[in-house]
Amino acid sequence: MMWGFRLEFKQNLRTKKFWVIIGIMALLYIPSFYIMKSFFLQSGREITNEAAMSMLISSITGMTSFFVAILALLIGATAINSEIEKGTLRIAMSKPIKRLHYIGGKFLAHILVLLIAILFSTAISIAGILYIGGSLTSQLVTDVLLLNLLLLLAMIQLVALGYIISTLIKSATTALGLALAVMFIVFMIVPSMVGFLAIKDTMNNPHTSMEEVQQIQKEYTTKYLFYDPISQVKVITADVSTMSSSNSGVIRNIRYNGVAYAIRHNPTNLAHILWLTALYLIIGFYRFLRMDLR
Amino acid sequence: MILRIENLIKTYGDVKALNGLNLEVKQGQIYGFLGPNGAGKSTTILSTLGLIFPQQGRIELFDTEVFRDGKYDESSLVEVKRKIGYMPEHATLWEFLTPLQTLDMIGEAFGIPKGKRAERSEELLKLLNLWDVRNKKVGKFSKGMRQRLLLAQSLINDPELLILDEPMTGLDPSGIAEFKGIIRELNREGKTVFFSSHILAHVEEICDTVGVIVKGKLIVEDNLESIKREFLRRAGYTIIVETSRPVSFDGVEWKVSPLGEKKYRIVTPGDIREEIHDFVASQRAKILTMQVKEPTLEEIFLKMVE
Ligand SMILES: Nc1ncnc2c1ncn2[C@@H]1O[C@H](COP(=O)(O)OP(=O)(O)OP(=O)(O)O)[C@@H](O)[C@H]1O
Ligand SMILES: [Mg+2]
Repeated sequence: MMWGFRLEFKQNLRTKKFWVIIGIMALLYIPSFYIMKSFFLQSGREITNEAAMSMLISSITGMTSFFVAILALLIGATAINSEIEKGTLRIAMSKPIKRLHYIGGKFLAHILVLLIAILFSTAISIAGILYIGGSLTSQLVTDVLLLNLLLLLAMIQLVALGYIISTLIKSATTALGLALAVMFIVFMIVPSMVGFLAIKDTMNNPHTSMEEVQQIQKEYTTKYLFYDPISQVKVITADVSTMSSSNSGVIRNIRYNGVAYAIRHNPTNLAHILWLTALYLIIGFYRFLRMDLR
Repeated sequence: MILRIENLIKTYGDVKALNGLNLEVKQGQIYGFLGPNGAGKSTTILSTLGLIFPQQGRIELFDTEVFRDGKYDESSLVEVKRKIGYMPEHATLWEFLTPLQTLDMIGEAFGIPKGKRAERSEELLKLLNLWDVRNKKVGKFSKGMRQRLLLAQSLINDPELLILDEPMTGLDPSGIAEFKGIIRELNREGKTVFFSSHILAHVEEICDTVGVIVKGKLIVEDNLESIKREFLRRAGYTIIVETSRPVSFDGVEWKVSPLGEKKYRIVTPGDIREEIHDFVASQRAKILTMQVKEPTLEEIFLKMVE
């Protein structure tokens, strides 16, 4: 197992993959903190850690998660087929290494690479919040870390889904194309359709409050988008702070609950992320064990 | 028996890549596995290493059954792989590693201790003329250098059986000669060598046994001389003679066509060099040159499938 792990890890560090992940993260964070800072300056609002966290969450579950999700899916989708195309897999598997150990090691390496990226992202997030005027507290560190770990779980699920694609499609280029198509259709168009459906279903009653609309959206996402880890992360993080509004829709009050609270209160959504990861891995690994490596 | 394949069948949709292949490689042999493109050579080799899944048949390595009817016994396979070196056809190694790092990585897969690995890598890189480029990234290597590194990685575990898939394809004549020298030397050290090729010249001079595979079946397995003799018997000899003065071949049973004023091509079913000699002498001419045309491998294949 460790051999496959070391090989894959080296490969990730020495080829562009890893630095692309880091680069994209930096690229996504730095401008968004810059925008946040100017927002706070202009609005003249007091900068609290909580307010900064809320902005961070919307930034992470928005743009960042999308790019990072594409990346994770692509890492998985080209993991096996590209090695078959190059022929390196035939060399590796002609050595006294069991297939399960090889793919298991590869998976661990992918997790480690993503974890490093996530820790990097955590560090940037914290630095960013301090830069816009937040203060360093243990609550802040824990919350940013937990938030990023949620994102990591989502990415791992997509890597696992990618493995299945990688064992199904022999050409890495075709797999790349398919992964992108899957990303757009299954993880972008369908979720927005479900969101639309939720709004439509609440329109019948004009007296529905904002909380009720959110509730329906959450239910639908949990029910219909269980396969989309990013949507599940969004549902969970929606509970990081609770807004209460008056009937006219004006926000009266924001209560900050923290990320740990949000995770505890949405066990179904966390479970969706986890059980699907396990299922994808079982399918992907099983296919790898039985496939022709040419 | 080092390798025994029985009745191996591998199909891709309608294509029968292996159609009941039987093959045996004995300890100490240099076995040339010959066949035209698409005959099933790589399919056979990949099956032997457990890299693809045939549908039926049996494979034994070092007297251990590793495959039977669609299933590999992975534990036995892993065990016997410790004694095997494999060089794939058109593969690249990890482009981001240097030869030293590559051999280190492969040595690690065999569980060879670090110090031993370094020692062995140095030995192999020197043997294969790669020592000067030991710290250069493989991504920047030429075809010949890649080929030599592929051979080096197959030797890191000092294997008892070497399986090489078209190892000489793409090498120039001096490269081929050098390669044959290395193979011969490895064989002298006691290694059994099994290698494939679609070019007759590759197996000449070094193989004691040649197996010819056509359309997924082994059609002959013998030493190269017998295979050639058998072919010549069936395909007929083509003999080119050059005489000191024009000779009239009227009345002979041989098929003769003039190639020049004093040069003739003679095609006959058997070896009639002596008869030709006597015939030419009877016309008071001398033979200046006489050559027996070697059949090309393609001709052999075609004849043998007929
Ligand atoms: N992945 C595949 N899908 C479908 N058919 C395949 C596949 N791989 C090989 N084949 C077919 O199997 C047959 C045997 O192929 P194989 O690669 O074993 O031949 P070979 O003797 O090694 O030829 P070459 O000298 O070209 O390397 C060929 O007809 C080939 O087209
Ligand atoms: Mg081949």
